[in-house]
Amino acid sequence: MQLNLKNLLKRFDINFTLLILAITVIGLINVYSATYNSEQDSLSRTFIAQSIWLLAGWLIFLVMSFIDYKFLQKIAMPFWLLNIVMLVLIFFKGKKIYGATRWLDLGFFNYQPSETAKIAIILLLATHLQKKDALQGLGFKDLITPFLFAIPPFLLIVKQPDLGTGMMLLAITVSMVLFMKIKKGPLITAIAAVVIALPVAWSFALKPYQKERVMTFLDPSRDPRGSGYNSIQSKIAVGSGESFGKGFLKGTQAQFDFLPERHTDFIFSVLSEEHGFTGAILLLFLFLVLFVLCLRIASNARDKFGTLLVIGFSSYIFWHMFVNVGMVIGLLPIVGVPLPLVSYGGTGMLSIMFGLGVISSVSYRRYLF
Amino acid sequence: MSLHIRTPEDEVKSFQDRYKFIYLTIGLTFLLFTARLWYLQIYKGSEFRYYSEKNVVKFQKLMAPRGRFLDRNGFTLVDNHPGFEATITPQFVEDLDKTAEKLSNLLNLSKTEIISKVKTSARREGRYRPVRIKENLNRDEVARVERIRLDYPGVDINMFIKRTYSQGEIGAQLLGYTGEISKQQLPKLNKGLPKKDRFRQGDILGRNGLEKTFDKELRGEDGLDLVQVDARGRIAMIQEQDILSSLPRKQDPVPGNNIVLTIDKDLQSAAAEAMAAKDYIGAMIAIDPNNGEILTWVNEPSFDPNNFSTGISKELWSKLTNDPFKPLRNKVVQDHYPPGSTFKAIVALAALEEKVIKPSTKIFCPGHIRFGRKVYHCWRRGGHGEVNLTQAIEQSCNVYFYKLGSQLGIDTMAKYAKALGIGQKTGIQVENEISGLMPTEKWKEDNFGEPWQPGENLSNAIGQGFVLTTPIQLVLAYSGIGMEGPIYKPHIIKKILSPEEEVIYEAEKEVLHDPSDEEKAEVHISSSSYKTVKMGLYKVANGEKGTAKWYKIPNIKFAGKTGTVQNFSLSSDQVYEKCEERPKKQRHHGWFVAYAPYDKPKIAVAILAEHACAGSKAAPVVRDLMWAYFKKYHPEMLEEKKENTNLSSLE
Repeated sequence: MQLNLKNLLKRFDINFTLLILAITVIGLINVYSATYNSEQDSLSRTFIAQSIWLLAGWLIFLVMSFIDYKFLQKIAMPFWLLNIVMLVLIFFKGKKIYGATRWLDLGFFNYQPSETAKIAIILLLATHLQKKDALQGLGFKDLITPFLFAIPPFLLIVKQPDLGTGMMLLAITVSMVLFMKIKKGPLITAIAAVVIALPVAWSFALKPYQKERVMTFLDPSRDPRGSGYNSIQSKIAVGSGESFGKGFLKGTQAQFDFLPERHTDFIFSVLSEEHGFTGAILLLFLFLVLFVLCLRIASNARDKFGTLLVIGFSSYIFWHMFVNVGMVIGLLPIVGVPLPLVSYGGTGMLSIMFGLGVISSVSYRRYLF
Repeated sequence: MSLHIRTPEDEVKSFQDRYKFIYLTIGLTFLLFTARLWYLQIYKGSEFRYYSEKNVVKFQKLMAPRGRFLDRNGFTLVDNHPGFEATITPQFVEDLDKTAEKLSNLLNLSKTEIISKVKTSARREGRYRPVRIKENLNRDEVARVERIRLDYPGVDINMFIKRTYSQGEIGAQLLGYTGEISKQQLPKLNKGLPKKDRFRQGDILGRNGLEKTFDKELRGEDGLDLVQVDARGRIAMIQEQDILSSLPRKQDPVPGNNIVLTIDKDLQSAAAEAMAAKDYIGAMIAIDPNNGEILTWVNEPSFDPNNFSTGISKELWSKLTNDPFKPLRNKVVQDHYPPGSTFKAIVALAALEEKVIKPSTKIFCPGHIRFGRKVYHCWRRGGHGEVNLTQAIEQSCNVYFYKLGSQLGIDTMAKYAKALGIGQKTGIQVENEISGLMPTEKWKEDNFGEPWQPGENLSNAIGQGFVLTTPIQLVLAYSGIGMEGPIYKPHIIKKILSPEEEVIYEAEKEVLHDPSDEEKAEVHISSSSYKTVKMGLYKVANGEKGTAKWYKIPNIKFAGKTGTVQNFSLSSDQVYEKCEERPKKQRHHGWFVAYAPYDKPKIAVAILAEHACAGSKAAPVVRDLMWAYFKKYHPEMLEEKKENTNLSSLE
């Protein structure tokens, strides 16, 4: 392909890119506020780290945009296998932080294989499902392979233990499979199987402490130190923002240590408190536009592989946003899931920028009418 | 229907019908989120704003009462008592200078100290954390602070629970002490702990001794309550709770388990008093030889663990750590010393078993012995004349044991000493136990790269060479001799009780070594050898020439052995004739290890008195403790008039 600037700009999805830029800048501003300390002159280390991750993320985004996504088919399987190895390796060489072993110490940063496992499953499912007929829908046999791909990383992640990330992995898998459409018969059978399997798993497969965890999931007041308290403080923070917020760096809930994990899982409550309904709705609107753009890219893709990649990564971002915002505003129980592009976190930021880069690449190679 | 080849474009189009579902899902989600945000921020916004500015919900930790320590008879040794403290919370202070000035007047403190305390804590522990200004307020002070509290935001009175040690300094090294966890210590403590076991800033932690070893048993589980506090952090009246209807339930604290120790509080006092009366430095331990229960455990000098409960001052801490006699050390297990002449009983057992001598074998002691190019002295210049084994033990004749040592050799002596537990950890559940040392030829070769010298057999045979023992090892070895075989594993925990008084754990007696057991023991010691040595030990306390004959308990005869440890090497012509005239640090250590009654012991005691000059000087302290024991537990034995002591049991 001949590269000239005019062609490049014509094909490169500027709107999409500017949208991501806007969301990441909002994220950075809020990480700054969440880690701000009035008695300290220098920038917080967390803020500096996040800025570096963001720059690295943009680099990955641009690189991925200009590479033809076709090559991802070839690396899907090896990448998935490598990821499994990493997840297994954690049990031997993993770094334990607060009782859960989720990180591998790579010297310069702590790598979290459960984050890249989401990428691996998207690549592998897209590679596999593109061969299936999308008009007819998937039969019963066709359902086996996708779940064979998903179950090993799921089990390894749940064992860490990190039930939240494991559930995200399943949500992505189910979304992609449903997008392929399932024939009526298998669909009903599958739903029936889940309905029957749940109580059986509940009474036999789960250990008491796991049951306790699920119960807490359903009823946060069972664990008042953790979820219940956070939920109330988060609601107060969001609500007290009113229409226009208390102003940048002026959120009392966030600034006086009432809100825990405010630069990661509760970043949206910092935004809502300081910038009010206006700020919160603006961010949600940007996300809404982002999803609409993604869906348009999916429907205009060059091939099925491209469509499936876009659907996979979009569902990744959507489910994270859904669970995170839902928990911050008190609609869902407290689960440790970050808000994409906004929350602090290295591996998560790089993974999402990679995904968006792939979507951008699909857009670059779309049909132009 | 005709087959046609679908282009990739067609295939992509085949997904068309899905998108409307996706748009619907996303649309509904955003509608829901917007509605919820509108409800929280616009509809209920002012209410939440009020909460965030005027009232906030904060956790109040309901501290679990830490488990108590009880003595063997249920007397409370360590307990928790409530007290009041004045605090300042930096976050809420409006004018630190004025606040500090007011408090310094009310509580008689220095103003600059208050300011520096508050500033340091705000920097290190966080501004929201209350800083303790003065603890143990009396009623008057509480009332005074209470009056000004509302005018000086940030000032508060807190109730806290103070760990109280009823016995003060007595047994302090055994019980240990507690302290609060600071912010800096948290990450290290919590490393690798599951979430529910994690510590929080301000938690009380056992720092030393049994408080530390059994911290998990004692700690219990803190409870929680959510309280509404006003913007100054003061607890406010609970108002209507409509928007906080999902307020979590209160969690009651679960108290820690209580630990019943084997020690006796009265014997502890008797031991400490007896040592204090002589101004002795060192360690004393008493056990029941019949089951290994530790009855007494004291170290001198000591410290008051109550001073640690609310945070120890820098001055006191440096005084304790710089004291040359080391009040913080648990010398019973943490320090080892040469056993001196107390080792002779063990060498005697070895010599009898190895048939080097018969009980009747006599050796002439001229006061010294020449070996190689060196002269080895007996402690008595003129010598003991002709003595047999029991007489040699009675009078602690060095020459007799020099001969035994040179005939046995170190490896044989080590074999028997190890069978009695010398040079090994006893495995007591008290931290920092050291193993002491029982040398062998190979040990010297390995550690010094030099062969064992025959002359060293002589010095080690009288416990002056490389041999090192802890007080707990010696008391066990002697309890084994007194019992003619079994040495029970020493233990300090008798029972662990749940807050509901259920028994969670109960110690059982367990044999540690038993050389009398012909089948199981690797090194066997026969009953006749034990009896001969016991006769010697009997004479030490009761014979005409016994080194501890001056100390008696009415109607109960005890047996034991003195030991003197040359702590400072002196030239042969002895710079100072009298030990007492030397500076304290240069005086000899004295051992006395004994059991009573001499035939069927009920108590065994070891004391190491540092710089007491001689083992015989330590004997009265042991006598006093034994006397106290019989007064409390077997008063009938003190009254019984025995016409003749029945020595036949030892013959």
